[in-house]
Amino acid sequence: MLRFSFIFRGRGVAKRFASSFSNESALPPNLLLPTNLVDPDRLKRPPPPADSSLPPLRKCDAAVPAHLTPVQAWVESLERQDSEPLGVAQLHPDVFAVPPRLDILHSVETWQRNYKRISHAHTKVRSEVSGGGRKPWKQKGSGRARHGSIRSPIWRGGGVSHGPRGPTSYYYMLPMKVRVQGLKVALSSKMAQDDLHIVDSLNIPTPDSQYLLDLIRHRHWGESVLIVDVGEDFSENILQATANLKTVNVIPAIGLNVHSMLKHEAIVLTLETVKFLEDKLLWHDERYTPLYPFKLPYSDFP
Amino acid sequence: MFVSDPWLRYKQRTRVAYDSEHAWKQKTVDMSLLGGLLRAGASYCQSAGTLLHTVRTISTGTCCQIRMHAIPQPKKVDRWTEKRSMYGVYDNIGILGDFKAHPKDLIVAPCWLKAFKGNELQRAIRKKKMVGDRMMTQDRHDLEKRIRFLYRRFNRTGKHR
Repeated sequence: MLRFSFIFRGRGVAKRFASSFSNESALPPNLLLPTNLVDPDRLKRPPPPADSSLPPLRKCDAAVPAHLTPVQAWVESLERQDSEPLGVAQLHPDVFAVPPRLDILHSVETWQRNYKRISHAHTKVRSEVSGGGRKPWKQKGSGRARHGSIRSPIWRGGGVSHGPRGPTSYYYMLPMKVRVQGLKVALSSKMAQDDLHIVDSLNIPTPDSQYLLDLIRHRHWGESVLIVDVGEDFSENILQATANLKTVNVIPAIGLNVHSMLKHEAIVLTLETVKFLEDKLLWHDERYTPLYPFKLPYSDFP
Repeated sequence: MFVSDPWLRYKQRTRVAYDSEHAWKQKTVDMSLLGGLLRAGASYCQSAGTLLHTVRTISTGTCCQIRMHAIPQPKKVDRWTEKRSMYGVYDNIGILGDFKAHPKDLIVAPCWLKAFKGNELQRAIRKKKMVGDRMMTQDRHDLEKRIRFLYRRFNRTGKHR
């Protein structure tokens, strides 16, 4: 264990492999290790135990089923870099502890990639290529092969017989409950792998990007962080701090989606975001099937 | 085990040859000419365990030979551009946003393809219905010819009609 204390984060695992090589240039320069390999620095503060005696800062609003217990998570603060967590929050198990359905994650991710895809590949058919109306030479007697037009697909410069035709769309919609379940599975997976962090609010002392980077590196959150907050108004400091950063992004809670959650290593939610997400995602478990689209007015919704 | 960086410039390089006494030896070969290398390599090692770096040569008939590296450099892609890092945001605007908007409103497409999927005939008919009176004469004529051809092709030929 003494050896680990000398290894800086990121090359911890690599250095263990390095000792087995005999020659000097141990690691190939193009080695890419995933940054979320089990890192000894991150195991310092375990998540709060299920039966912790601390009073929770936030309890679940919706009723938790009797056979499940709420998930406990630390509530941290962004004010100071090395501050201790403020308390414990309880999260609904039907949103943050669902079974990990990787097939649903895959289908939601492929849906996100494909439903807005428009392929503009287009080729001209033999009738659309300019020219080629006249028979090039007479049918018999010239000694050459018989042809009807100079733009047939076997000619150079001729049309393409079975090529891509025009802008093509790949639009389809997954059932609403599948998309909702995809969000729940993504949140649960991030929670289970210790990549979900709850924060009381997004107030930062300085609009400095370096402060955020130092905070993230100090708390070992990962390389990329997705910060989610409810409402359109964000504090100026956080907007300015993340404006120049590529891997740290702020989105409103309405913009949460599976692809962004999988792309960023760590997710940071505020307490209001947790309430908003639980409210929106748990409603689908106990709703009636729509008789008409939900965008038309219902008496008891929203 | 022969470990080397394949992207090193093809200058002097150390090659490891497997001798018949089952011992690894290091031989330095001067690699000024490719043809000389290959011939030298063939003469050096007779057994089957030799590793040769094959570099393609293009001969134009004269003595000037073009050298190419066998393995091209991988292209450098920035995975965190604005478009890539914000991809997919607002895709769940219906579920999370009270159903005031639908993800199909986010699609950037020609108007006859927004939230529509079909085969070529269906797309062509929809285009003619929605945009046909705005099209140029030659394009519209080509579209009508295409619709006529595809209708006959799908409905009168083949197994499915």
